[in-house]
Amino acid sequence: MRPERWQQIDQLLEVALDHPPAERDAFLTKACAGDETLRRKVESLLRSDEAAQSFIEAPAVGLAAEVIAERQARLRTGQQLGHYQILSKLGAGGMGEVYLAQDTRLGRKVALKILPTRFTQDAERLRRFEQEARAASALNHPNILTIHEIGQVDATHYIVTEFIDGQPLRQRMNDVRLRLSEALDVAVQVASALAAAHEAGIVHRDIKPENIMLRRDGYVKVLDFGLAKLSEAPPEIIDMHAPIAAKVTTGFGAVMGTAPYMSPEQARGQSVDARSDIFSLGIVLYEMITGRAPFEGESSSDVIAALLAKEPLPLAECLAEVPRELEQLVAKTLCKDREKRYQSVNDLLVNLKAVNQDLEARTNGRGVISGEVAAVHRTSAEYLLNEIQHHKRAVFLALAILVIASVTLVYFEWPGKAIDSVAVLPFVNASADPNLEYLADGIPESISNSLSQLPHLKVMSRNSVFSFKGRNINAKEIGQKLGVRAVLTGTVTQQGENLMISLELVDTRDNSELWGQQYNRRLADVFAVQEEIAKEVSDKLRLKLTGAETQQLAKRPTENLKAFQYYVQGRAYAHRRTREDLLRAISYCEQAIKEDPNFALAYTGLSDAYSNLGVRGYIEPREGRRKSEEAARQALALDEGVAEAHAALGLVYTHYAPFNFSLGDRELRRAIELSPSLAMAHQYLATSLARQGRLEESLEETLKARELDPLSPIIARTVVLPYYLKRDYARALELLRQADQLGPPFTTLLEFGVYVKNGTLDETLGRLEKAKLERKDDPLLIYGIGIIYAAQGKRAEALQIIKQLEQMSGSSLIQAQWIARIYAGLNDREQALTWLERGLDAGANAGFVKDEPVWDPIRNDPRFTNLLVRMGIAT
Amino acid sequence: MMTPSSQEVTELLLAWRDGNEAALEKLLPLVYDELHRLAARYMRRESPGHTLQTSALVNEAFIRLIDQQQVHWQNRAHFFGIAAQLMRRILLDHARGQARAKRGGGLHRVSFDEGAIVSEQCAAELIALDDALNALAAFDSRKRRIVELRFFGGLSNEEVVEVMGMSLRTVEREWRKAKAWLHHAISEGETDEA
Repeated sequence: MRPERWQQIDQLLEVALDHPPAERDAFLTKACAGDETLRRKVESLLRSDEAAQSFIEAPAVGLAAEVIAERQARLRTGQQLGHYQILSKLGAGGMGEVYLAQDTRLGRKVALKILPTRFTQDAERLRRFEQEARAASALNHPNILTIHEIGQVDATHYIVTEFIDGQPLRQRMNDVRLRLSEALDVAVQVASALAAAHEAGIVHRDIKPENIMLRRDGYVKVLDFGLAKLSEAPPEIIDMHAPIAAKVTTGFGAVMGTAPYMSPEQARGQSVDARSDIFSLGIVLYEMITGRAPFEGESSSDVIAALLAKEPLPLAECLAEVPRELEQLVAKTLCKDREKRYQSVNDLLVNLKAVNQDLEARTNGRGVISGEVAAVHRTSAEYLLNEIQHHKRAVFLALAILVIASVTLVYFEWPGKAIDSVAVLPFVNASADPNLEYLADGIPESISNSLSQLPHLKVMSRNSVFSFKGRNINAKEIGQKLGVRAVLTGTVTQQGENLMISLELVDTRDNSELWGQQYNRRLADVFAVQEEIAKEVSDKLRLKLTGAETQQLAKRPTENLKAFQYYVQGRAYAHRRTREDLLRAISYCEQAIKEDPNFALAYTGLSDAYSNLGVRGYIEPREGRRKSEEAARQALALDEGVAEAHAALGLVYTHYAPFNFSLGDRELRRAIELSPSLAMAHQYLATSLARQGRLEESLEETLKARELDPLSPIIARTVVLPYYLKRDYARALELLRQADQLGPPFTTLLEFGVYVKNGTLDETLGRLEKAKLERKDDPLLIYGIGIIYAAQGKRAEALQIIKQLEQMSGSSLIQAQWIARIYAGLNDREQALTWLERGLDAGANAGFVKDEPVWDPIRNDPRFTNLLVRMGIAT
Repeated sequence: MMTPSSQEVTELLLAWRDGNEAALEKLLPLVYDELHRLAARYMRRESPGHTLQTSALVNEAFIRLIDQQQVHWQNRAHFFGIAAQLMRRILLDHARGQARAKRGGGLHRVSFDEGAIVSEQCAAELIALDDALNALAAFDSRKRRIVELRFFGGLSNEEVVEVMGMSLRTVEREWRKAKAWLHHAISEGETDEA
């Protein structure tokens, strides 16, 4: 189209549109003046204008949403769909999302599957689906999934089936190698189902392990009759050259089986009948028995080629002791020529049962299926409940799951690897009551602690996680900042006696929801809820828990709600680290203990607070050490399994001189053993190792700590230490600057050493002066100024600082070590050593690191060596 | 897990704006995630009646992606122009990818991210629209811009006014005529006329 021509058309169109429709004809006759082509053009555009009223009015994002995002309908937990109430999401797959729902009319649980919009928009497909569903629902057989209803609410089409408490055969095959007896039992039940269906004239067409459910009680249920037809497109569309998606692949998407289960006639696009199901069952049977697929290949086309032309490896080559009858049976189901196959499932059934009976006779009835099935699943609800009841002592503030949750579920296609890292964010207190804040903080923290005990899960530390409190949650951002794959968020509200917790577990790669759940309980049951949540989460993260771990999760630290409340509040204060806050923390922990004297964690809270008070010199270091140790021991006396108590004890031995590194390290490692995600334990250990001169190991531990608590300014600073001690000052400075981005500067002694060694004296002095304006009484800043003066050779000024420090500490000599350092900086060796000795006498040499460059001037003096011995540091 | 740095995204965006087409190829996968998220949010909105400001969504997505300090959007026009173009590219990329797969006999159960099933119809429509829009752009780039801003960028008529500096009436007229032409082109299957 030439621009000038278009302009003509365009203008005409515009004016024509200005005319009322009735007058357009006349106008055009005049305006076009005989140019018929032109007139036709404009007229056709006018017609299009009429038709295009709503054309592209809705922005593309809507379209994009359909093109890019999930096209499947989604429901939210708690939502009502007709007379069904959505309880939770069971899973999702290529066929739509499946939810656990409550049938409010009949008072039973059901599985509710939403049909994808692409199906329901195609009227023909929908009609066929309904037909098949109707036929399938008429099938009444114990091994066929019962279809209760199909329905529609607004645009949402759904199908309601019985809810199966079990797992798909696929998962079972992934977990274990099936015993022959079990494989046969499953095959018999599936064959029974097929027999009933074939009798009613229905062919399944999609028999595969994903469609075979193993119920907890041993029943096998075949799913997706009728739906199979809906989901499959005619076979010609299969891309012969596409690589087969690996089964355990991305965390996304529908699982593609490693081998198609289709029959040769299906692969060839021919008509399909009952014998096709037999073939598919044959493949499943083969796989169950041998643990591998009968036809293998790297791509679809390879597998299909094998399927069409190759014979599978005989069972005997994959398994010792295969009954000959079984070998023959399998071979007959896998005949490529369907005329040579079993012609009816009933015949197959007869043979299967015969083989099964034979086998049982041979193995003396061992390998009874229902027994095996039970063994496979996790401990039964009754078993665990007993454990909990016998558990007298309050232990780790852990949340365990009442197995009901653990054995539940499994109605979905498993996407793949477990997620191995999670951050539990502080919940949002959506109620009007500020007092609920403690629950909003405490519950996630409890859940975190609980999950921290699991060895294969990295759980982000409270510090890092708390920085996101109150901010808009963007899971992706959090995932990036913290390096976690999943984030658990929640909201807490209260309604009268009831507590409502609404949770979401989000995959940080794409903000998709892995799991959502709503809990509605009485406030008094809050501990039970926490337990359920922790287990549910670990389930959803697909972690396989050992029996021991499950038990561990089942421990409750306290039954006393008030005690819990005090403890949580105490923790909140303890994290703030100022003198007043630490004292408050102590008071709250003591109150918690009064409420529940067996509350071990409350004692560790005490220990932690005293430790911090002593270390910072807010109280006499000796007293801090003593009280900290006492509280830690009390905690351990109540329960040896409290990781934090071991960490607290470890800190006492490795932070205060005289040190006992072997004992201390042992405690710290025990803490880590109990709770691998306990960041602080790694950090304390790192510092301990640095003190012992084991720098590489120290660095290793610090990096672990940082991984667990990437936003912690304290840990970030600890990373600096090994480099500083190795005399890699440039790197130390670089790391220090990074640490400064996470928190206020000048909070540790080593920082000043780094600045001094890098020669940035004036600049640091300037920054210190500025910092003093805000933090007036901070002795560390004063020390900092002093050490810089010493480095600059400003003797008189440095001595003045020393006087200031002396006056500040008074008789308790808290800052003795600091004064010694300044003297060392002035090369006043005599004084430096004297003050160090004084400090040691007063028990004030906490945090001493022998390899620090600051001690270089006095390192060779025998008095120094003597001090090291007295401090328990091997030379 | 790869998340693009805003610097990376910004640099590529600027390179693209300055005419480097290759930059767009690199940019697309980086911003894909963000737009996915955006689309998912759009889908999840509370009630159909609740009109979400699409431009706000797009705006937000871009703010997340772009390093605000580095890029000085001379004016809103600039920003939204780029955003709209990018959105168009992404959508079409996706749609054409789908069509390719289907035509070549792609896996009948094409799974994209969490089992998202692409609507074949949807993709086909988009491609047709894109082709028609390209044809239109050949002789009327102003209309093309307006369609881009409105349809792909999600701007309202009023916002387009602000961005392009025209009167509301002009925008409304141009939009209407553009729609007519596009609709015609798509339904008749012809785009080239004497």
